Amino acid sequence: MKFLPLIWAGMWRKRSRAVLMLLQIATAFVLFGVLQGLDTGVSEVIAESHADRLYVSSSVAVGDPLPMGLLARIRSVPGVEYVTERADFGGTYQSPQQPVSITTADAALLFKVYDEVKVAPAAVRALAADRTGAIVGDVSMRKFGWKVGERIVVASGLPKSDGSHDWVFDIVGVYDFPDHPENSAAIIANFAYLNESRLTGRDHADMFVVKVDHPADADAVGLAIDNAFANSSNETHTQSEAELQAAQLQQLGDLDFIVHAIIGAVFFALLFATGALMMQAVRERVPELAVLKTVGFTDRGILALILAESVAFCIVAAAIGLGVSVFLLPLARQLFSGIRHMPDIVFVEGGACALALALIGASIPAWRGSRLEVVDALAGR
Amino acid sequence: MSFLAQTFALTATALRSIGERRGAALVTVIGVTSVAGVLVSLLAMSNGARSLGGASAAPDEVVILGNAASSSMQSVLTRDEALAVKGAPGIRRAPDGTPYYTATTMVSVDAIRSNGKRGSVALVGFTPGVRLFDPPRLIEGRLYRPGVHELVVSDPIRKMYRGLELGHHITLRGTEWAVVGVFASSGTVNDSILAADADTVMSAFGRNAYQQVLVKLASPAAYPAFKKWVLTNPALAVQVKTEKDDLNETFAGFNQLFEYVAYFIGGVMACGAVFGALNSLYASVDARRRDLATLRAIGFGGAPIIASVLIEGMLLALPGALLGAAIAWMLFDGHVVSTQGLVLKLDVTPQLLVVSILWALVIGLLGASLPALRAARLQVAVALRAT
Repeated sequence: MKFLPLIWAGMWRKRSRAVLMLLQIATAFVLFGVLQGLDTGVSEVIAESHADRLYVSSSVAVGDPLPMGLLARIRSVPGVEYVTERADFGGTYQSPQQPVSITTADAALLFKVYDEVKVAPAAVRALAADRTGAIVGDVSMRKFGWKVGERIVVASGLPKSDGSHDWVFDIVGVYDFPDHPENSAAIIANFAYLNESRLTGRDHADMFVVKVDHPADADAVGLAIDNAFANSSNETHTQSEAELQAAQLQQLGDLDFIVHAIIGAVFFALLFATGALMMQAVRERVPELAVLKTVGFTDRGILALILAESVAFCIVAAAIGLGVSVFLLPLARQLFSGIRHMPDIVFVEGGACALALALIGASIPAWRGSRLEVVDALAGR
Repeated sequence: MSFLAQTFALTATALRSIGERRGAALVTVIGVTSVAGVLVSLLAMSNGARSLGGASAAPDEVVILGNAASSSMQSVLTRDEALAVKGAPGIRRAPDGTPYYTATTMVSVDAIRSNGKRGSVALVGFTPGVRLFDPPRLIEGRLYRPGVHELVVSDPIRKMYRGLELGHHITLRGTEWAVVGVFASSGTVNDSILAADADTVMSAFGRNAYQQVLVKLASPAAYPAFKKWVLTNPALAVQVKTEKDDLNETFAGFNQLFEYVAYFIGGVMACGAVFGALNSLYASVDARRRDLATLRAIGFGGAPIIASVLIEGMLLALPGALLGAAIAWMLFDGHVVSTQGLVLKLDVTPQLLVVSILWALVIGLLGASLPALRAARLQVAVALRAT
């Protein structure tokens, strides 16, 4: 620890160069933080999903319609506590630039399956009693300035049997996902209303959502459901919430590879930069290093000194870069939903990358510095 | 000596001594290479996304979608509506009187990528009239027959997914579908689909509505009358758009996202490269302090010194631009990536090389700006005395 001032002084030996290098490394870590933050942020969302929820969808693809007849059969599978049909559709409110999404289900059961949602029991009862009722997420309530009791009209591509495309909803309450406010945007309405009003696709749901008695049995229950419909024309594919989200992520396809390729290119360039910088720094300090050796520093001591300097430098730069990326990440969130904050693991990964960068970049200069012959170095040979 | 001659002489000496500053110079070259490589690759992807848009669509092709549908994915068109469109004026007809008309239906189908991950492709059913349109060029096998569970697959999809080779069967809703043909990649949205007969798809999947109707008009001039007829027909609650507009609207956001991402990442990386170039050129100027001071003393002006440093910066950045673009071209040109069920063909065009060179020149200029000022402000006496 007593060498800390020495290391510090070494870092700032040439101020303008050190500042520029610091900025260069920091910039790389800004990018690392944002890209890796997006990448890991999405998987973290998956990790905290609910293990007691299963999604029964068509084996063709998620969202491919399944007949309502499956509902009774799923309900009778042992271990199923609640199950509700679910069908989602989209529309716009007032202008084509204001999209809204509508989730329809058996309202009372839906809120039992999604039991983490904050909603007044009276509102759920009111929704069950009012065919055209809707419980709206507080994000949309605030965004559009809606009030409970208000009647809203949503234009949708989904035609009604009377030929109109205007879907009317009476707002009877508000819900909120306390942990995930970004999920509180959809309008929740009665499946029965959708089903009897729509022109096409009657008596079919997009999926069935199941809550199991015991999370530990979720896999077995899922398998039992799929087995019940095996080899029928309505084969199902039951997934946990985590699997469903992972599958949606896989739809992003090669973007994962692209993120890693970019980070790879950035660090490859950076490795050369740190290496060259340390090489230059060591070359300029040959006489100083020789003096240190003369006063008793060992080869290994010099090696450690140069490496420590490089590590300290890269860690400081990485910390600055990651700090900036924490503020930039929320901007990227507009593009990819689901990420709220920088996952902690990114800081750990960033630290590890900085360490690797510093050690690899400084290895050759440090080795050279440690192998100096004192007499030659002092003589300037 | 003239300004030009002085600048030339200074630049030449600077470049001759580059060997002594190999490390710093290489840092600039590699830094710019990585910026150019990433920028060109991402823009190549954005090019791929752009070709999904309407640029290549024929001006006389028109799409009919259900009302209030923001894209064909959400559109619902009943059989009656789809049929009624056939009676509209201005539709081009084949010599035997068949109209250039096809109604389509789309089913999203999960398939397994060759890397083992799950992806989704669109199975699109076309009514027989599709044969009148520019048909996709079959490179293997034959076209599907109506009434039989047969489909044809695009070449990129076949390569990207497992089990979609010619002769393979896939099971959907308890029915086996045979892959009977492969059609060539066209760089358009058709690269992302499996194609089959519309009525066969609809009966297999229990659908009773189409998603859109595509017609070809006798001429682009027939569009206003056609549109007016469709929109004023009481039996139709639909939207009418040119194919060009429809594709543009559907993929505009997608394309913008890619460009936004490309320029954001390229911009951040370029900042890093500018810092690297600054370092490299400061080193270059510092190493030549005495030479520069000597030249000032014998009458060289400040302006040629500034110019020569700026030129040195741009010359250092230039190989990086070429190298980065070349690497991106070698690795990714013609490569296909898939995201959200869409196949994108990376397209490294000459324009991207120009973009890459422009970025490199700007990086070089910015990186050389401060060192150039330092060189020009050199105090001759101080610099000459320095060791």
